Amino acid sequence: MPVWLREHRWRQTASAVYLSLPVRGLRVTPANIFCTDRYLKVSIPPFLFETILYAPIDDTNSTAKIGNGIIFFTLYKKEAAMWDSLTLANANKEKLQYLRENAVLKAHEKAKEETEAKKVTKQEHKKYALEATMKLEEAERKRIEDLKEKERQKVTKELELWKKQQDAAEKQKRVQKEGELHQEVEQLKEKKKEKNNKASIPNEGTSETRIKATKGCRGSYSMFSENLKEEQLPAPRSAATIKINFTSRVFPTALRESRVAEEEEWLRKQAEARRTINADLSELEDLKEEEKNPDWLKDKGNKMFATGNYLAAVNAYNLAVRLNNKLPLLYLNRAACHLKLRNLHKAIEDSSKALELLTPPVPDNENARVKAYVRRGTAFCQLELYTEGLQDYEAALKIDPKNKNIEKDAEKIRHLIQGTTQDC
Amino acid sequence: MAAGLDRPQVVSHAQQALNYTLFDCKWVPRSARLLCLGSAARGSGLLQLYELRGGRLALLREIEKAKPLKCGTFGATSLQQRYFATGDFGGNLNIWNLEAPEIPVYSVKGHKEIINSIDGVGGLGIGEGAPEIVTGSRDGTVKVWDPRQKDTPVANMEPVQGESKRDCWTVAFGNAYNQEERVVCAGYDNGDIKLFDLKTMSLRWETNIKNGVCSVEFDRKDVNMNKLVATSLEGKFHVFDMRTQHPTKGFASVSEKAQKSTIWQVRHLPQNRDIFMTSGGAGSLHLWKYEYPSQRSKKDSEGAEMGVAGSLSLLQNVTLSTQPISSLDWSPDKKGLCVCGAFDQTVRVLIVTKLNKI
Repeated sequence: MPVWLREHRWRQTASAVYLSLPVRGLRVTPANIFCTDRYLKVSIPPFLFETILYAPIDDTNSTAKIGNGIIFFTLYKKEAAMWDSLTLANANKEKLQYLRENAVLKAHEKAKEETEAKKVTKQEHKKYALEATMKLEEAERKRIEDLKEKERQKVTKELELWKKQQDAAEKQKRVQKEGELHQEVEQLKEKKKEKNNKASIPNEGTSETRIKATKGCRGSYSMFSENLKEEQLPAPRSAATIKINFTSRVFPTALRESRVAEEEEWLRKQAEARRTINADLSELEDLKEEEKNPDWLKDKGNKMFATGNYLAAVNAYNLAVRLNNKLPLLYLNRAACHLKLRNLHKAIEDSSKALELLTPPVPDNENARVKAYVRRGTAFCQLELYTEGLQDYEAALKIDPKNKNIEKDAEKIRHLIQGTTQDC
Repeated sequence: MAAGLDRPQVVSHAQQALNYTLFDCKWVPRSARLLCLGSAARGSGLLQLYELRGGRLALLREIEKAKPLKCGTFGATSLQQRYFATGDFGGNLNIWNLEAPEIPVYSVKGHKEIINSIDGVGGLGIGEGAPEIVTGSRDGTVKVWDPRQKDTPVANMEPVQGESKRDCWTVAFGNAYNQEERVVCAGYDNGDIKLFDLKTMSLRWETNIKNGVCSVEFDRKDVNMNKLVATSLEGKFHVFDMRTQHPTKGFASVSEKAQKSTIWQVRHLPQNRDIFMTSGGAGSLHLWKYEYPSQRSKKDSEGAEMGVAGSLSLLQNVTLSTQPISSLDWSPDKKGLCVCGAFDQTVRVLIVTKLNKI
């Protein structure tokens, strides 16, 4: 239950009402005061003071002064008239209630309107600020443009001046040269008269052409000085050729052409492959040092393949694979041996393993890949799995389209397939 | 780096839209005229002579040739004759007298494929020795020609028999400080840079900068070789200090990655050999200054002399176009005046200011 504050005093003039409300010892803030045009409330829990005013007031201009344990209200009347009392006399509960709610609503609306107004003014201020900055920047830009323009004009004037000088100089030179020419022509004529006795037809001819040429061309002046100068120049160099080499790279392409990422991967794989030694060294202790080197074993295997000793070659490759199972060439060569030995399934296995190890596909391992495909294709055909064989041959052709042998073999297989399907 | 407007500014003075693909543009020495050459849509070569008048370029002459023209130089003619040497798409080297351009003064089918780059030395009153022209072509060879000798080059740098060829993208003369000495530098598309000494007819130095070399230039052709700038794809360029050659390490260099795209050309300012401009694939131009180190050479652990590279500072950069600027030429007569041609079929004349204060 609120405690009503009743000790208020008021006095009035024609236009205003002065109300003083003692609030001894209570802290009052503006939030505790609620005022609309007909309703005034001061709520400092648990204390409460409210009035329904006799007549409407101008609540926007009215003020409340808080201090010294008193709230002093200055309420400006909407209509200048004397009030009979501060509050409305016969206010029943309902009316009170209604008025209260009304007051609250009105206050809400007012607050809303105020915020709206604030927003609008804020926006206008922002716009103004923006325009002001834009103007400033424009001015700055214009200033720089003007400076640049001035530079341009200055420079253009200088250029024109220089051009005029050039033209004047050229004209002068030309006049000078023509003068000299005339002099020299005179001299020549005199010389000609002297040489008339001797057979000097070539001389005459050349001197005449010289005169003609110089008179005709605007650009070339005296040919005489030209000839003199030529004699001072060294003779043309004796012809020679310098042979050059271009920078070699692992992949002979310029940076912009290479597929660097793939090539790097391939190189790395190769390097790793060479480094793996994954054999049980205990078993192989009785082998000689060189027999533990996969490359040496590969060479041995190749030699034995060449002599026709396929079983021995397979043994060599097997040992090499035990030592290092990441070298694709070992599997490739072993596949060839198996083909010769007609171990076709093993040949297929080995070619497949080789192809696996030959990724990523780069120009460097093209040859190896072609061989792997061809060997696997052959094995398939010998097992009479012609479609798989053809697939492999076509893959080989894709890598190396210019190989006639592969083309011929692929054709043969195609015929075979067509033949068998026709039979069935 | 100087601040704000104290830096050199690149001012656009004039520009001209063309109706053909522009491959090269060069100033005619001792004049305010410039030559543009390129390829017309109908597959023929065009050579146009413009004059700078007021703020505009006025077309004086247009010459059409059978094959599209790729590159040209005034480097090997005298100041009086001003003959222009061009390389075209068919591998022909021609020298034209612009007054009478119907028949070339010198013509040879020098290469089997397009001549990518051409340079001349010994003319224009610069340097000593016989005028010579060097051409680099897609067929992997670099040939040096003397206009007095018909049909055969005086030097031929070709790949060894059986070697797969790499395109030669750029050539430059250098070290022509007396009548005997001369050096040709060639850049290839696989990043090789090779330096050929024409006096001893041998390969003097080679290196590889990993990316294709678009342009090489010595800072001066007619002095003891001082600096060499090589630009490449992917926005990198290298400046080599050519005064000290170490027996194994070659020349010292500093490299800079400036633009995100290919750097198509580098050209040194004729009046100041430490300032050069690079043009990029994004249509931008960068103006650089090279600063020498306090000591240009030092001794390494074995006592051999090796060079010390200096440092680079960017003076200015400007973006003129959205297409690559493929050719650039400074005027030898007016400091700061330059012409650049881009693949957006425009030729622009620019003025770089405040170069005196650098």
